[in-house]
Amino acid sequence: MSDDDLIESILGIAPGSPLHVLRRRRPEALRHAQGAYRELLMPEDPGNISHADRAALALRTALREGDAALAAHFRGLLEKAGAQEAIMLAEDLSGAPMEGRLPALLRYADVVATRPDDVTQETIDALSGMGLTPRDIVAITQLVSFVPYQVRVIAGLRAMMQEGAAA
Amino acid sequence: MSRFTMEEVGWTPRIPPVEAETATPAQLAALEACPPAQRRSTYFLTLANDPASLGERGALFNTVMYAPRGLPRADREFSTAIVSMANGCVYCTSVHARRFADLSKQREAMQRVLDEGHKAEIDPRRRAIADFSEKLTLTPGAVTAADLAPLRALGMDELELLDLIHSIAMFANANRLMQSLGESEPPAA
Repeated sequence: MSDDDLIESILGIAPGSPLHVLRRRRPEALRHAQGAYRELLMPEDPGNISHADRAALALRTALREGDAALAAHFRGLLEKAGAQEAIMLAEDLSGAPMEGRLPALLRYADVVATRPDDVTQETIDALSGMGLTPRDIVAITQLVSFVPYQVRVIAGLRAMMQEGAAA
Repeated sequence: MSRFTMEEVGWTPRIPPVEAETATPAQLAALEACPPAQRRSTYFLTLANDPASLGERGALFNTVMYAPRGLPRADREFSTAIVSMANGCVYCTSVHARRFADLSKQREAMQRVLDEGHKAEIDPRRRAIADFSEKLTLTPGAVTAADLAPLRALGMDELELLDLIHSIAMFANANRLMQSLGESEPPAA
């Protein structure tokens, strides 16, 4: 099953290993974390936020959160889609002002990922002004808020793997 | 004075929540996956604007906070209150501090942590949970096996530790959603 679970493929958790067995004692956490990932990154009906936009937002968030392995995964999704420009924009952490729709979405990701208390009604109204529906706004906020979940599960499990290696 | 409280804190969404009467079948199905006591709250009705993500995320939240066995529920609530403080989410802190106080009957201890921060916690188990919760929240990349040692020394087993990691991670998510999509309104002083 590890091939089907993003967190296990990133950490290299092999079938039958202690963490693989342990995680299956919480099967719903496993299933719905993977389900949330699927529905946020590659939903059947993506509304106004394309799969490439979503992968770019996830890449940017993983970079802001400092998780290189997770960032590499999202970059891989964009490479597969041939979205080189999206990679370039998402990986530009300089904060240089930039025109365009994706840069504006990426700036929203920066605030939600690192300073969510700074989001204001104006921040949300600006997204509506770009043509995003309430559903689009919830979707990108869910996405940018979900990557930090993945980052902390990965970090916690990595520490448990270190423990196992030291034992 | 700390800005954190166990009192009821209000929350006003920045986008229109779904109306229960006019919700689509997909929106209603997604709400069904969320914790029963909260699925008609303004917050969940706001998230219902995007039913696909709410269904999975609501079910994830439900199992992380309420799955039987493993880490006691009071510990999950305590941990998520600490995470919410670290992230500055006044609303989530109030909800989970209150639930911890109700489950544990340790209202005074919780109030002290809200007022003075978690370093004021004297119970060794809660202190270890709080230290780990704050570190995994603020500097996940710096967490190592050494950070698990105090929890292990207190007898925490594998499943409890997994549950603790899930709870902490869930509130990296919940706090950001709550802070971004709406505004909390502290009780009048």
